[in-house]
Amino acid sequence: MTTLVNIVRYHLVDRLSYLILPWGVMAFSFLVNLAIAAVVPPSPDGYYTGGVVTIYIFLLICGALSMTRSLPFGLMLGVSRRGYYLGTALLVVLLSAVYGLGLTVLQAIERATGGWGQAMHFFRVPWILDGPWHQTWLTSFVLLVLFFLYGMWYGLVYRRWNVPGLLAFIAAQMLVALGVVVVVSLTHNWHAFGHFFATVTALALTGVLAAIAVMMGLGGFTTVRRVTI
Amino acid sequence: MIPAISATALGRRYHDQVALDDVSLTVDPGTVTGLLGRNGAGKTTLMRIVTGQEFPTSGAVRVFGQVPAENDAVLRRMVFVREDQPYPDFRVGQAIRVASWFYPHWSEELARQLLADFGLPLQRRIRKLSRGMRSAVGITIGLAARAELTLFDEPYAGLDAVARQLFYDRLLADFAEHPRTVVLSTHLIDEAADLLEHVVMLDRGRVVLDAPADDVRGTMATVSGPASAVDEFVAGRTVWHRQRLGSRASVTVAGPFDFAAQARARALHLSLEPLSLQQLLVRASGLSAEEKVSA
Repeated sequence: MTTLVNIVRYHLVDRLSYLILPWGVMAFSFLVNLAIAAVVPPSPDGYYTGGVVTIYIFLLICGALSMTRSLPFGLMLGVSRRGYYLGTALLVVLLSAVYGLGLTVLQAIERATGGWGQAMHFFRVPWILDGPWHQTWLTSFVLLVLFFLYGMWYGLVYRRWNVPGLLAFIAAQMLVALGVVVVVSLTHNWHAFGHFFATVTALALTGVLAAIAVMMGLGGFTTVRRVTI
Repeated sequence: MIPAISATALGRRYHDQVALDDVSLTVDPGTVTGLLGRNGAGKTTLMRIVTGQEFPTSGAVRVFGQVPAENDAVLRRMVFVREDQPYPDFRVGQAIRVASWFYPHWSEELARQLLADFGLPLQRRIRKLSRGMRSAVGITIGLAARAELTLFDEPYAGLDAVARQLFYDRLLADFAEHPRTVVLSTHLIDEAADLLEHVVMLDRGRVVLDAPADDVRGTMATVSGPASAVDEFVAGRTVWHRQRLGSRASVTVAGPFDFAAQARARALHLSLEPLSLQQLLVRASGLSAEEKVSA
């Protein structure tokens, strides 16, 4: 456990990547959007930005960096691959819990201020991130973990098999998507497929996302076991 | 006694290239072993397998009696300083601080002393350091960690002679107070020779020499003087190299060079120069010194 905590501390030495940039870039995006919202004529539906996505993309990048740039020194310090991965996963859980809470608070402020006085939807994303606070926290948490673990897996595939591996990894994901399309088409289930997304609750969808996050974690964990540096 | 490292028929191949071939060796705890050999001989591969960073294709390695790969209990007792160790985008002080968390025997005092000795600026980013200074960061971590098994792979690339001497001195001094097992791979054999108790030489992935350094030293010497006297002295000995310049000759022969032999050389007015460890190993690798120079 000490080792895992030390790995968490090791990553957090890079405060710029893990603490300052994710929030800094999102704050910048927020201010730009706020300025735009102030000058464009108000629409009756409000102003939707989708700007909150920047923090998810940022965690994806952090995940990839944690398994590429930071890995060799981490393993030099007498830590097993397993320990390194699990320690990083612990960081993911801690950061996502705190960041998810931050996003939840900002969403509450956004709602209370009528969209920052501009009817702006920055931290509220229709349907998926627009429910009660505890649900927003849970869904944000799951999504942040998902993006981070996904980034870690990308980083590990690159570390282990370089560019050819990365291309194969992306191709494999496309094949999975294609496989889903083919199966749904062949079984004439498009109607049911559409029905699922039309009726699924945000909470159930969060469950599906959590299952995907677990798959990402298992994938990354399997990949890290034979990484060489 | 459990060996610090024991390798049995260790092999590693990359596609059609053999990096290690049937390597078996034992490193006793509490010794300083020199891992010698030319570029590409397999030194780094061997150290990477010992530290669990690489996996063997055949054979097995044990560190303190256990398989090191993915074994936290063993990995924690080792530090491996690589020639080209990549660091995250850290400042010198950050890398040192992080390392201190991971090693139970870490010496803050020694780390501070080494940082001062090498003149390492704590606030400087590692990627902005010169090659030699980057090596100094690795050396500082490797020594201050006081890990039971300390592996240095060409740790002083780019370091000047003064700084290298500093490394040898500090290693010896700290080793005396806090005994541990040290494996040092190096090309600068003569420089490190006094440090080494045991030498292992690799050539194209195979162990070609594995012996106590004292046994290796003094096994060969160059005899020079008047050609007729030299011929008389070397009669019956294994001749490794022969050079003639007019009436004088210089011949490299195998020992023993006991008191009787030394007295005889003096009587014949011959000079008897023992080969240095480096010269010996150049011979052992099947290359003459002349070829080595022109290569």
